[in-house]
Amino acid sequence: MSTDRELRKGSAETLILALLEERDRHGYEIAKLIGQRSGGAITFHVASLYPTLYRLERRNLIQGRWVEQAGMRRRRFYRLTAAGRKGLHAQRRSWGAFFAALNRVAGIGHA
Amino acid sequence: MPDWKALVRARLGAIPLDPARAADIVDELAQHVAQHCADLKSAGRDDDEAMREALRALGDPTRLAADLAKADRPRSTTPAPPESSSSAFGGLMRDAAYAVRLLRRAPGFAATALLTLALGIGANTAIFSVLNAVLLRPLPYADPDRLVLLGERGPTGFPNNVGYTTFLDWRDRIRGFEELTLIRSWNPTLIVNGQAERVSGMRVAANFFRTLGVQPAIGRDFTPTDDTPAGSQVVILSDGEWRRTFAADPGIVGRPITMNGLPFTIIGVMPPTFEPLISERFYTRADMWAPVGYATSLAYACRSCQHLKAIGRLKPGTTIEAARADADAVQASLRREHPTDYAPSTMTLIQLEEALTGEIRPVLGVLMGAVGFVLLIACANVASLLLARIARRERDLALRAALGASRARIVRQLMVESGLLAIAGGLLGLIVSFVTVPLLVHLAPSTMSRLAGARIDGRALAFSMGLSLATAFLFGLLPAIKASRTNLQTSLHGDGRKSGQEATSIARRLLVGADVAMAVVLLIGAGLMIKSVGRLIDVDPGFDPEHVLSMQISLVGPAYAKNDAVLAKIDAIVTRLRTLPGATGVAAAGQIPLGGNGDTWGFHFQGRPVSPDDPSVERYAVTPDYFAVMRIPLVRGRLLAITDSAATENVMLIGEHTARTLWPNADPLGQHVKIGGDTGPWRTIVGIVGDVRHQDLATTPTMQMYLPQSQNTDSFLTLVIRTHGDPSQLVNDARRAIAAEAPDVPVFQIAPLTELVERSIGPRRFVMVLLELFGGLALLMTAVGVYGVISYTVAERTREIGIRTALGARPADIVRLVIGGGFTIVCSGLVAGLALAFAASRFLESSLYSVSTTDPATFAGVAIVLMTVALAAQAIPIVRAMRIDPTVALRQE
Repeated sequence: MSTDRELRKGSAETLILALLEERDRHGYEIAKLIGQRSGGAITFHVASLYPTLYRLERRNLIQGRWVEQAGMRRRRFYRLTAAGRKGLHAQRRSWGAFFAALNRVAGIGHA
Repeated sequence: MPDWKALVRARLGAIPLDPARAADIVDELAQHVAQHCADLKSAGRDDDEAMREALRALGDPTRLAADLAKADRPRSTTPAPPESSSSAFGGLMRDAAYAVRLLRRAPGFAATALLTLALGIGANTAIFSVLNAVLLRPLPYADPDRLVLLGERGPTGFPNNVGYTTFLDWRDRIRGFEELTLIRSWNPTLIVNGQAERVSGMRVAANFFRTLGVQPAIGRDFTPTDDTPAGSQVVILSDGEWRRTFAADPGIVGRPITMNGLPFTIIGVMPPTFEPLISERFYTRADMWAPVGYATSLAYACRSCQHLKAIGRLKPGTTIEAARADADAVQASLRREHPTDYAPSTMTLIQLEEALTGEIRPVLGVLMGAVGFVLLIACANVASLLLARIARRERDLALRAALGASRARIVRQLMVESGLLAIAGGLLGLIVSFVTVPLLVHLAPSTMSRLAGARIDGRALAFSMGLSLATAFLFGLLPAIKASRTNLQTSLHGDGRKSGQEATSIARRLLVGADVAMAVVLLIGAGLMIKSVGRLIDVDPGFDPEHVLSMQISLVGPAYAKNDAVLAKIDAIVTRLRTLPGATGVAAAGQIPLGGNGDTWGFHFQGRPVSPDDPSVERYAVTPDYFAVMRIPLVRGRLLAITDSAATENVMLIGEHTARTLWPNADPLGQHVKIGGDTGPWRTIVGIVGDVRHQDLATTPTMQMYLPQSQNTDSFLTLVIRTHGDPSQLVNDARRAIAAEAPDVPVFQIAPLTELVERSIGPRRFVMVLLELFGGLALLMTAVGVYGVISYTVAERTREIGIRTALGARPADIVRLVIGGGFTIVCSGLVAGLALAFAASRFLESSLYSVSTTDPATFAGVAIVLMTVALAAQAIPIVRAMRIDPTVALRQE
């Protein structure tokens, strides 16, 4: 449990940025996609998702805005900013280096 | 469908954030939960279960609220407010640093507020330093509160002069005095290096300096043996005279000098710190003191020869009242013993300080009050600016309250901001006063004897700093209280503009109304003074002061012991002066109007016994050309002629006022009178001339008479020279001419007559100039205040004005809308100000001349000026309001 939590916390920002790299998404969609794509291994609840989103927004890596679509409630969509894109690349590189090291030392291969 | 927002909000409780932002967050989370629940239901969960699970995903709500706030917080655009601190001082410092940051972000506001405060505090500090120098600084003598002036009560309540023999009885009989001393004026002619110099001095009793508690710095004080007819040829010099005339000679003591042709010995020099205030007040600033040297056997030492002033030092613990009661008893017994020498009267004792400063006190009181009004206006303006600023910062303040700042904490922060403004304003004000005090000293009339000592000393510094802090409270407290009452809910939701700001607007309007009221009072004061001075300038003094040079000469000493010698010398001098290029007429007179050298004599009629109740008439002993030079018109009869001499019939002229008063139903021409007692010759009235204003321009002419110098000779004379052009061009020629004719005759107090007229207006002009200045300042500040409030109103109502314009309102309607608000404030302020001025202008009464304290023209004029300025101040905001583009205005929110 605690490992799960640490990992989640460390990787949460990367996951969110990666999902927003594809297209703008709202909070629920991000949470749902993470659950789906990780096959349920990683779940994001409100309690951790939104503080992370706001933190990213504050650091200007993502930008939220309210979008109204016809016949629907307005929703807050998040978009990756230029700074966010750079940040994502940097995080990808360091995670890559980290996993490579883990692999070499502990023989943990990519899933 | 459940109200997810309500459910989420209920679970989270208060998120410690700007409520508008918190509402956004709740919205977003509610949608998340709602969609989660919907997904769970479509996956086959029943409603209740889906809802429970979706909400459970919020986790620990308290923790979530904190996490959210922490993640989101620093979005605020205002600089981070200081953390609360454990040490009060550290907290204050942080508050101050925060306040400095805020002020630097609003340079326009800061500059306006600082300038306003600097002018207000600066003007107050400057006037205070004058007040301090003249009134508050204790007299520079030992225990000055025990020093009193005493004498029989005169018509104005001031002690009369006293005769020498009476003084001796007082000294022997009145108890309660440690010392009783006396003074008289003395203007000897000193010959140094062959040059005649006229010195201002005083003759004093031997204990004069001891009574004041001062001692010579060099040499010795007077002793009782000096104060006798035989021993009185000794003098003590002022430090200034010692340096100027005797080059600070260290061996000065014992040096012989010649004065009035008699040998004197210098026995001492006073320290430089000694201020000759008594001579300054009653005579002219003394540079030399000699003993009176009287004996009761002398003719002028008689009981009723009232030409001396008595000054006493009360014993410690003796009250003025007790001493007065005793003096009254002594005087009553003197009256019983010498009934012919004393009129029935009571004794009066007034503190020396009061005697020296009494006349100037109400004037300075008026000025201090006026300048205080200026400061109040400044405070009202700054308070108004602060209120407007706080209205703009309402959200920021509400946020701070939401983050847990207590009311006291917010008030403290705002008071620190105000305090900072006030201290900075005070420091700038000090600079203002450093510049203005020398100007004030320069501007002050010579009658304010101690004003020259005005400077920014420790007391003025303390006053200015105390004033700054007081102003901080005055202008800062209202906004601070206002801000601490900010309604969090409404001000954070954008819809709170109305409720919070309406109160602010009302407060600001009240403040501007107060501005207007106070400005009205000041302007009315200034207006009354301007009118007074104007009337005074228009007063006909009874002579033509233009193109006339006046100078005083004194013919004293053994060479001038006989009248013939004096007359011959006067004649020689006058004849020589007449030859000067540019001189059209020259005359000599014992006294001239406005010259400060009046001489009133008893006037006794033929056929009636001489009585103390006989009238007193101003005496002018003049040479025949005097009337031509002064352009005093002859009304009836003839003027004086060269043929009127000591050998011919004694003649005199009288003024019109004298003729009307003393001979209401008869012809004064040909009447015979005696002057100055029973002993003199009968004099025939041969002519009536126009009246002159003798005392000063504001005093109506007194009874006057003119005698020929040849029949009533003076030793101290004023020469008057009428010229073609600028009389001051003649000064050096005249001096040289007199020196050539009479090297032993000193020439002094050289001034064009216009300067004497100006000097007579001086004190009123001083008050007028300052009130004008303060009134102008008040008007400017009021205009700024009105402008501020109206332009703020326009900004506040941009949307409304836009809607009205969009709905078809014409420009005139908009003007009416904007002016309407301003008009009410200005009018209310005006009415209040007029009422206040009505009550307050009586304090000016003693400074006014020929103008009522409630002069309707002045009141109306001020009302018009103020309305005009107030309307002009609204012009810019009105134009701005008319230019509001409805589309822009409506998009603004």
